[in-house]
Amino acid sequence: MKRRAFLASLAAATAVPRLSWADAGSPAYLAAAQEPSGAHALYGLSATGERLFSQPMPARGHAATAHPTRPEAVAFARRPGTFALVIDCVTGATTARLTPPEGRQFNGHGAYSLDGAVLYTSEVVAEGSAGRIGIWDAARGYARLGEFASNGIGPHEIRRLPGSDDLVIANGGIETDPSDRTPLNLDRMRPNLSYLSPEGAVLEVVELPEMAQNSIRHLALKSDGLVAFAMQWQGDLAEPVPLLGLHRRGGAVVLADPKDSEMFAMKGYAGSVAFAPGGGEVAITSPRGGRIQAYSFEGTPLWSVARADVCGLGPCAEGGFVATDGQGAVMRVRAGVLEPLSAAPLAWDNHLVAL
Amino acid sequence: MRRTALSLVLAPAAVALALAAPARADVPETVAKVILPGYAGFARATQDLATTAATDCTPEALRAPWNAAFDAWLGVQHVHIGPAEEEGRALAIAFWPDPKNIGGRQTEAMLQGADPALVTPEGAAQLSVAARGLFGLERLLYGDASDTNPAYACALRRALAADLARMAQTIEAGWKDGFAETVLSAGTPGNTTYLSAAEARQALFTQLIAGLEFDADTRIGRPLGSFDHPRPERAEARASGRSLRDVALSLKALRAFAGALVQGIGPIPATEAAFDRAEALAAKLNDPVFAGVADPGKRLKVEILQQAIKATRESAEAEIGALLGVRSGFNSADGD
Repeated sequence: MKRRAFLASLAAATAVPRLSWADAGSPAYLAAAQEPSGAHALYGLSATGERLFSQPMPARGHAATAHPTRPEAVAFARRPGTFALVIDCVTGATTARLTPPEGRQFNGHGAYSLDGAVLYTSEVVAEGSAGRIGIWDAARGYARLGEFASNGIGPHEIRRLPGSDDLVIANGGIETDPSDRTPLNLDRMRPNLSYLSPEGAVLEVVELPEMAQNSIRHLALKSDGLVAFAMQWQGDLAEPVPLLGLHRRGGAVVLADPKDSEMFAMKGYAGSVAFAPGGGEVAITSPRGGRIQAYSFEGTPLWSVARADVCGLGPCAEGGFVATDGQGAVMRVRAGVLEPLSAAPLAWDNHLVAL
Repeated sequence: MRRTALSLVLAPAAVALALAAPARADVPETVAKVILPGYAGFARATQDLATTAATDCTPEALRAPWNAAFDAWLGVQHVHIGPAEEEGRALAIAFWPDPKNIGGRQTEAMLQGADPALVTPEGAAQLSVAARGLFGLERLLYGDASDTNPAYACALRRALAADLARMAQTIEAGWKDGFAETVLSAGTPGNTTYLSAAEARQALFTQLIAGLEFDADTRIGRPLGSFDHPRPERAEARASGRSLRDVALSLKALRAFAGALVQGIGPIPATEAAFDRAEALAAKLNDPVFAGVADPGKRLKVEILQQAIKATRESAEAEIGALLGVRSGFNSADGD
């Protein structure tokens, strides 16, 4: 608190408008959490899992996205979301509150344009769950600029391709009741992975018709444009299905089947996906199975490790991954070995967002 | 140093526990009085099966020890932490449900191929998890699959029985020689599996709740299907006629597990009453393989048993969860 107040006064006194992420303590990750009181907050974490700052949120969060240059993050509410908060990570102030237009709901994820001037949000039309990408003016107070179709039902995670303003969207395919999350179309869902231009033109679509009940929900991107997508199986949980796919613009999908002994370990559910830096490893987490599984880019299973309620996952700069769980642990994971970094009386929410 | 005596394993953890919270006996009680004896019983029963198979591999000789091994498995089947989860052992011991009949097709292919290399313990250990274990043996002990090649089926029974006994022994040894201490030393420096005592309690509590869910949603829910589309053919261990017995023995095991988990902490009257009701319903249900799910007059009794187990789960989650100060997973229950 002292540090934050100091920085705030410093910022005011010197009237230097351009603060950077270094002024926020250079967090390596953002993550939403529930506190022991039941309150919710967004936290900034160092590379070693130390908590650098926290900002309260009015309800349960889900994921966040960080501005490419300003120390500013947007924290998204849990689906069906009615708010997103723009948080100044230096002063702690909420600088803008985004509310979806009438009849729209946030779906927990968003992404900035390459220059940080525009924020894109994953949304649905409440009735029918038709996907929309909301466009917000991040340069001028986050005014709503417009929207375009996400090219599917129930979009979830949205990311920008590295070095480009093109977007990639996981259209989960699930139509939900507007008042809660009850799925309404599991027998006729058609999820897809869509690449869209910043104007909303459909550039490429990937579908997996042989497993239409595998909801494509979460994304990770490698700097060379390789996209990893994590899925959640809505069919019979006794049927083994892959939960991770890899794709590159114009290429074929690689599906990652677990080894025999692990075929049900994830309980049909992958909650987060991340690439390790360098290396050639991509991993998915399952809070339901209490498991992290890593694969090669060819889809070969490499290792797995058990950890109850694990979900948040990001790259570790020193190699491997950093994971978070609902019991308050932040862990480094390398080659199937867990190394606790920090513990707190917090329940870390679904995602760990690397900055 | 390799430990062989249980007392050596328990001693350091008991000291740690005494320092931490002398009144609580939950986790050590569950490990010492339920989990370890459960795995020891399963190891003995599977060894009996393998010993019998070594001298007589006919179905007539093996059905009784196979059933005894299955009974013993139900005492610990719900424990999905530790050595049973490593290398897919629990999956290889009991590969069910199997809606695509992966196991059945592999058994058939093995009987057709009659590869002598597979009917050794080493060969069997290399088989797919779907082909092995209790259900691999069930297909060779009941029904007519073995008719394809009776001599090879006999050798395969012997190999699968030996493989099953080896897995049971490995799990028991894994608990005694390390994992029991991992659970009991939760929260001590160097324990990277359970970072606090609460995490170990949480893990055991999760096994109880998931076990009750498996009985209600899978063992009973799969054959129930829907009213318009009942699926009696999906009952567990239908060929051997054990479907209802499996539920009853699982409930008995889960009840003992729940009792140990709250030992010395507090009473669980609602959970006990719910177990009473579910066990009584199972005891008087005269439908060993849930064939009645397809008969509107008999289906209701199966549904009532399912509801009673769901009610037991709800009671246990609320009552035991509150006593232990744990709850279902923040993220696993969220689902997004």
